Amino acid sequence: MSLTAIVLWPVLIASLGVPRISPEPPSPEDALVGTTPGPQSTDTTPQPGAKDGKKAVKPPARFRWDQHPSLHLGKGTRIDFRARFQGDLRESDALRDAVEENSGLDIAKRRVGVAGEIRNAVDFQVEAELGNDEPWRDVYANYKQHAAVQVQGGHFKLPFSLDENTSATNLDFVYRSRAASQLAPGRDLGIMAHGRVLDRALAYEVGVFTHDGRNARTADSDRVYGGRTLATRVTFEPFRAEKDWRSDLQIGAAFTTSPLDEGFSDLRGRTSFDARFYRPGVWIAGNRRRVGAELRWRPGPFSIKSEYIRVTDERRGQSVDDTDLSPAVAAGWYVSGTWAVTGEAKAKGLDAPPRPFFRGGPGVIEVAARLERLSFGSAADGEDASEGPRAEVIAGNSDRVETFGVNWYANRWIKIQFNILRDTVRDPSQGPLPDRTGYWSQVLRFQLSL
Amino acid sequence: MGSRNTCITVSSDSISRFIHTFIPTVFVLMAVVLNPARVQGQTTADLFNPDVVQEIRLSINSRDLLELHQRYQENTYYTADLSWQGQRVRNVGVRSRGTGSRNPIKLGLRVDFDRYTTGQTFLGLRSLILDNNWQDPSLLAERAAMAFFERLGQPAPRESYCRLYINNVFQGLYSIVESIDAPFLARVYGSEQGYLFRFDYQAAWHGEYLGDDLAVYKPFFEPETHKLEADVMLYAPIRDLFREANGPEDAVWRERVEQSIDLRQLVRHVAIESFLSEDDGFIGAFGMNNFYLYRPAGSSIHRLLPWDKDNTFADVNRSIFFRTNENVLVDRALGYSDLRALYLDVLDECARSAADGDWLANEIEWLAALASGPAGEDTLKQFSTEAFQAAVDRIRRFATERSRLVLDEAARARAASGNVP
Repeated sequence: MSLTAIVLWPVLIASLGVPRISPEPPSPEDALVGTTPGPQSTDTTPQPGAKDGKKAVKPPARFRWDQHPSLHLGKGTRIDFRARFQGDLRESDALRDAVEENSGLDIAKRRVGVAGEIRNAVDFQVEAELGNDEPWRDVYANYKQHAAVQVQGGHFKLPFSLDENTSATNLDFVYRSRAASQLAPGRDLGIMAHGRVLDRALAYEVGVFTHDGRNARTADSDRVYGGRTLATRVTFEPFRAEKDWRSDLQIGAAFTTSPLDEGFSDLRGRTSFDARFYRPGVWIAGNRRRVGAELRWRPGPFSIKSEYIRVTDERRGQSVDDTDLSPAVAAGWYVSGTWAVTGEAKAKGLDAPPRPFFRGGPGVIEVAARLERLSFGSAADGEDASEGPRAEVIAGNSDRVETFGVNWYANRWIKIQFNILRDTVRDPSQGPLPDRTGYWSQVLRFQLSL
Repeated sequence: MGSRNTCITVSSDSISRFIHTFIPTVFVLMAVVLNPARVQGQTTADLFNPDVVQEIRLSINSRDLLELHQRYQENTYYTADLSWQGQRVRNVGVRSRGTGSRNPIKLGLRVDFDRYTTGQTFLGLRSLILDNNWQDPSLLAERAAMAFFERLGQPAPRESYCRLYINNVFQGLYSIVESIDAPFLARVYGSEQGYLFRFDYQAAWHGEYLGDDLAVYKPFFEPETHKLEADVMLYAPIRDLFREANGPEDAVWRERVEQSIDLRQLVRHVAIESFLSEDDGFIGAFGMNNFYLYRPAGSSIHRLLPWDKDNTFADVNRSIFFRTNENVLVDRALGYSDLRALYLDVLDECARSAADGDWLANEIEWLAALASGPAGEDTLKQFSTEAFQAAVDRIRRFATERSRLVLDEAARARAASGNVP
């Protein structure tokens, strides 16, 4: 895809194909734009029924287009039709050396799906990515009649990690943090109970899944991944009742546990541009445990997010003497901050700009920065680190990334993001540039969401 | 008073015993603490001490060991810890090795110390071979032959016997063989900068020119150094060697070939192999085999290094010219009178050296004595203990008779050519 095409297609579509945009805040029916599964979705738009249970009585089987093309089939029953298109223009020292070309690479994603609700009791979503070998993304239904106890079943993201469970539409950066995208489980088939209690200040999610998500899974049959997985996540907003600058502060913790067959771990270290910097060749067996801690705070036009994730894979009976080895460990963290320079409140969502670009306004302009690190090794450390499959001390690797970005929400459909990234790989011999520890990358993303 | 005197006498003895026993013990203990390497004999000279049967223990995860036996034909590496004289080297790479000797019963093994841990060495070695002596019923031909090469001034890998245990189970009598690699080059030539190739047997090849394409030579010559260099740097000089060796019979053949190989060293190498009645060497029964090719840095001239000599001592009566006309290089080199004379001279030297003080006979006796105990316990060896004894007896006869036969034939050859020294 050429640069011209990438620049022009969202503009053309936006100017020719979209309906007139209402400057008013979205109606409750509009509110599903960009949502992701789960009650703790970090989407900044309100959830259906979250603020007011009042719904305008609509005639049955009526087609509307507010934020999405939508078919209303009666009271509390609705189907939204959704689509999201992304195109990335990428440039990287690593890519240049890897593919021996200077022109970067464009990556296009096309997702389509339907979502909606049935009689105000069940939410559902079916989403697929076109042109992908594994097209199905979210395919689930959620019984939601009681806010304190809801039940969700299907194929969706395991309740783990703030960043991983943030919709791609609402990411502050082009790419999720390395910790979230590499160490959080991602989607899998399962069933989950969730809800909000203590005056909605405490949210919980507890689920059982067939495996531990697809984020780390590879096509390599020698690699093993977690079996039946128990996952739980709890978030708490201690100042929710205060209704002041503190009220949005949220802290959380998450945990998963899964049995592991004997084999090589599927966890890999990859840079934002998907270049490998660590591929574990160590035997694992026993249990995989993930623990995560998270923090989010969005006062006014600012936001701060941070997470720490640690994954331990047991290595029972894997030494050369058939005894246990210290667990293989992957750990990652990030700290990020954003500032909507046009002044909009981050907590209310920036994806529906009050002054859209095509209606005379500037849209929303936001700057962002993130510092993060992803590392691999073992619980044991020392000088005798080895790359051996049965080494007590694993000679791992790490990648530290600084990201600086600008986001432009032109209107509720168009979002453009530009990120500059600086990767620093501790052991470059395992990375994309064997003779350099650090390199720069940049990416420009165009996103159209219907 | 008497008892006091007695008491004083006893005290003097005690002091004396204290001085003579306790203090040296303290010094020994201090030496152990302060310099454990020296006390534990941590040198390659100790490891390759020819007069000792070493004990080497490998620890391999039971799953890996099972797979190593099942997939012995593959060169897949497995992690192991190697223990010797109280030292444990962790995370070494172990794989099955050998061509004819490769088998799932008594594994031939290659140990790489730096396979998984960059820069790890053991006594300065990056790797070593645990030779299963599978094809040699005498269990000593390989060792005796390499010792003979060394005696004749030809660089050869050092070797010693060991009892090998894997996961505390006795695997039999093995030979610890020094790898021919960069550290070997440094020991022998004082520099590890040269180009070193292991001849990898693919098919019967007697040195014919295989064409201009470097890719044809590549499978035969596995680089041990400069592995990442371009093919043209690695193989063009080898191709040139065989192209010139097969060049026209003219006045400058030798001059051209000597730009690519040290012909005198080649002749010396082949002469020693002939004396030892080698069946699977440079002029082996199935073409060239079991040698390394070494080319010093900045030079185009190759030299041969011996490898895997367990098929030596094949036939005491074998002619010294057996198969010399099958190999292009050897056949054409021996067409030059000075090189032919050198060939006979080296054979004479071999015969006299082997007979000098019954060196070869004594070597065989000594190796047989070292090997006989572990060989009797070695239930995984291919041949029976009776076959071991019979093979040793055959080599004993070789050691006592070969020198005379070789000297006689060399003398006859000189007389026939009028080339009397």
